Amino acid sequence: MNPDRKQPRNMLMTKRLNHYFGERQVLFNISLEIQEGTRHAIIGPNGAGKTTLFNTITGKYRPKNGSILFKGKDVTGFKPDKLVRMGLGRSFQINSTFAGLTTFQNLRMAVLARKNIRFNFFRNLDKMQPVTDETDTLLARIGLAAERNLPAGLLSYGKHRCLELSLAMATDPDLVMLDEPAAGMSRIETHQMVKLIRELTHNKTVLIIEHDMDVVFSLADRITVLHHGEILATGTPEEIKANQDVKDAYLGETKVGNAA
Amino acid sequence: MKNSFRKWLLWAAILAGLYTAPVLFGVFELNLLLGASIFALFSLSLNLLLSFTGLLSFGHAMFFASGAYGTALVLTRLDGCSLLSAIFVGAASAVLVALVLSPLLVRVGGHTFAMLTMAFSQIMYATVMKFSHLTGGNDGMSGFPIPPLVIPAVGLIDMSLERNFYYFSISILGLSAWVMWFFTRTPFGSIMVSIRDNPDRVTYLGFNVPLSKAIILGVSAGFAGVAGSVYALFQNMVSVDGVLGPLSSFTPLINCFIGGLGTFIGPVFGTGIGTILLELMSAHPEQAQLVFSLVLISVVLFLPGGAIMLYWKITSRWIVLRNKFQTAILKGNHES
Amino acid sequence: MDAIAVMLITQGIHGLAYGMLLFLVASGFTLIFGMMGILNIAHASFFMLAAYFAFQIMQWSGSFWLALLLAPIAIAGLGILMERLMLRQIRKFKLGKAVVLFELMLTVGIMVCIEEAVKNLWGTDPEIVNAPELLRGLVQFFGMTYPVYRIFIIGLSCSILLLLGLILFKTRLGNVVRAAVQDADMAGALGVNVPLVFTLVFGLGTWLAGIAGVAAAPMLTVFPGLANQMMLDSFIVVALGGFGSLFGAFVISMLLGELTAFGIQFFPGYSTIILFGFMALVLTIRPSGLFGEKE
Repeated sequence: MNPDRKQPRNMLMTKRLNHYFGERQVLFNISLEIQEGTRHAIIGPNGAGKTTLFNTITGKYRPKNGSILFKGKDVTGFKPDKLVRMGLGRSFQINSTFAGLTTFQNLRMAVLARKNIRFNFFRNLDKMQPVTDETDTLLARIGLAAERNLPAGLLSYGKHRCLELSLAMATDPDLVMLDEPAAGMSRIETHQMVKLIRELTHNKTVLIIEHDMDVVFSLADRITVLHHGEILATGTPEEIKANQDVKDAYLGETKVGNAA
Repeated sequence: MKNSFRKWLLWAAILAGLYTAPVLFGVFELNLLLGASIFALFSLSLNLLLSFTGLLSFGHAMFFASGAYGTALVLTRLDGCSLLSAIFVGAASAVLVALVLSPLLVRVGGHTFAMLTMAFSQIMYATVMKFSHLTGGNDGMSGFPIPPLVIPAVGLIDMSLERNFYYFSISILGLSAWVMWFFTRTPFGSIMVSIRDNPDRVTYLGFNVPLSKAIILGVSAGFAGVAGSVYALFQNMVSVDGVLGPLSSFTPLINCFIGGLGTFIGPVFGTGIGTILLELMSAHPEQAQLVFSLVLISVVLFLPGGAIMLYWKITSRWIVLRNKFQTAILKGNHES
Repeated sequence: MDAIAVMLITQGIHGLAYGMLLFLVASGFTLIFGMMGILNIAHASFFMLAAYFAFQIMQWSGSFWLALLLAPIAIAGLGILMERLMLRQIRKFKLGKAVVLFELMLTVGIMVCIEEAVKNLWGTDPEIVNAPELLRGLVQFFGMTYPVYRIFIIGLSCSILLLLGLILFKTRLGNVVRAAVQDADMAGALGVNVPLVFTLVFGLGTWLAGIAGVAAAPMLTVFPGLANQMMLDSFIVVALGGFGSLFGAFVISMLLGELTAFGIQFFPGYSTIILFGFMALVLTIRPSGLFGEKE
């Protein structure tokens, strides 16, 4: 679209983000650069501040200081809905769908968001055929056509997770932020999930939090390790695998965690 | 096909019933019907918040009262104000109150919303009492002129005739109810339900939740205002305890619960049941509210879906029974 | 002493007495909300009902002390019945988020029900409850006269407060209750019988409202509308003091008591507007109340 978009540019940049819960500091000088078109994973033990970082970037929390640049524009303090309209999508660690609405209605909200139908008071939604068609296409694409009229809360966990991902992707965002998309899934489901993520996020910039190292190493181009709210290391998967600090701090703790 | 035909038939029957009511019934029953319709619209507007957005308001009466006082004031103070503009002023003042309060109201939900709306309606009560030179204070306002309805090329329609006023009001109320129903079917209506279900996700789909809530509040208040305005015309009187008293906010809530939460039409059934109940109890008016409250408690405890759910349960059981019966007959035929 | 000082002190004592009664009601209200997440709209109706119970018991026996003993127990019994038979029933439906709406509506239903039942049983005319002989009249000290009954209310409330404080902060039971108020789920996970504690706190809360009702009967007029003012005031107390905060409830009760006493003299008519306006402001800016813990 932009003529000057020849070389990859920064999709997202954070500069020295600090965040506090009350008196306790939970993020320390987080500076990140996410290149356009890359898949960037954030890993780290529980309580490292990964989800807090997500909440801060997406505008749910306002950082105490530091700034956030999205597509080169300073968006510090922007509300989530505005960021989403600028081209950001997010999935949650705990499923955050419309549990009481059917799968179809869930995805229809997504389609409305994508088509930018927000304050329309003059049409009967059920009679807006293009919306219905697009929703049904989307349903088929993510393999939930059979569950069209089932309330989302009654979907199986794996399928519910797919729906969660689809809602994050709904607005056709440029930057997708996924918070542990494969959390709590079986091996087979995880495999399918990775496939779906690859398919849906083709050509997009992805920022992903994940615990499952197989998922991380199979998806990510770059990895940032977060530990106690600080960035321990950033680099390619190979660099991270070789990094002694990371081994000490993170992989060690994970082993202890697994043993317990 | 068959279903939609039955639906049209039902609507035709309802319209015919409403049209012929003045012929069939006396003044008393007609007034009862009109009063119930006003409260049905009031309850419907509350239900927009309650069932569709999941917000429980303990102060919806303030919008009803704004409508009533707005209309009464403009008819008292402004000579030659037309009927429709008086109603418009009522609705607009309710919307105005909602919009002024919305910056505070849209930020909260649950208990806080309930308490906040209650606080605002208390403030409004005190304000109405304070400005008694305008509102009549405790005595209220009465005897303001009811202008005739002017229809271009047809002429004046005298509203002091019971029958004319009935047709006029029932049209306004019906039209408002229809507009509200349509509102719930629009794309924006689906945002409303989504906010009830999961406001965070709505935000992360890029919708502006506070602004959407403010619009819902405005629409809901507007129709409560229309109901209040028609009420003022119908009674030709507005009193502070009549439109802002402790029960004014609770009665429509109770109607919604008795009728059935989660449906559009529930409050209409609830109002109907309430009206019939009060009528049945008319020989013992002291106990009427007591019985009403006991009905509410039983509904909350034993029938959370309200009257609509009861109806569905009965019909579905009937369908199950019928199917059983039919299969039994078919089986019998087959065996023989 | 000059007349203004006398007036101020007399009004101050009035305010203190009302503030104490308010705190007795509001403390139960805030405890129940803090623990169960239930805003019991009917709470002040129990207060009003207790005043009528006291009236009735005095009709039968003539003893105020008997009323002070029995009426609150009867009210607590009703409260426990409400919790066991009704609020628990609603939680069985698995209504999800809507459960809040149903609980609120149930308490609204009970509020209307109590008010209407009272109207039917005792009529709408005010009833007079006489203070016992011992507590009538005036007492003089520091050259001023005070109504004995108000002093009695302050003393009674203080001793109940003390008792409540001892139970809540010095006993194991109190620890359990406070833990459940803070975080019912966590307390349950730690092996506390949460349903039993719920019932207990509900009983305690309504018992406190009952005491306040009986104590208020000779001071205020006993009529069905008694619940309304108390309900609105305890709403303000709980909203400003912070949901679940006893200390906050105490401070705001006292302030509100004094404000009511002095407000009538200094800015008649505007006190409601100011109070509720302030409450609305606090609710939106700091939903946890002035003294509640910040989320």
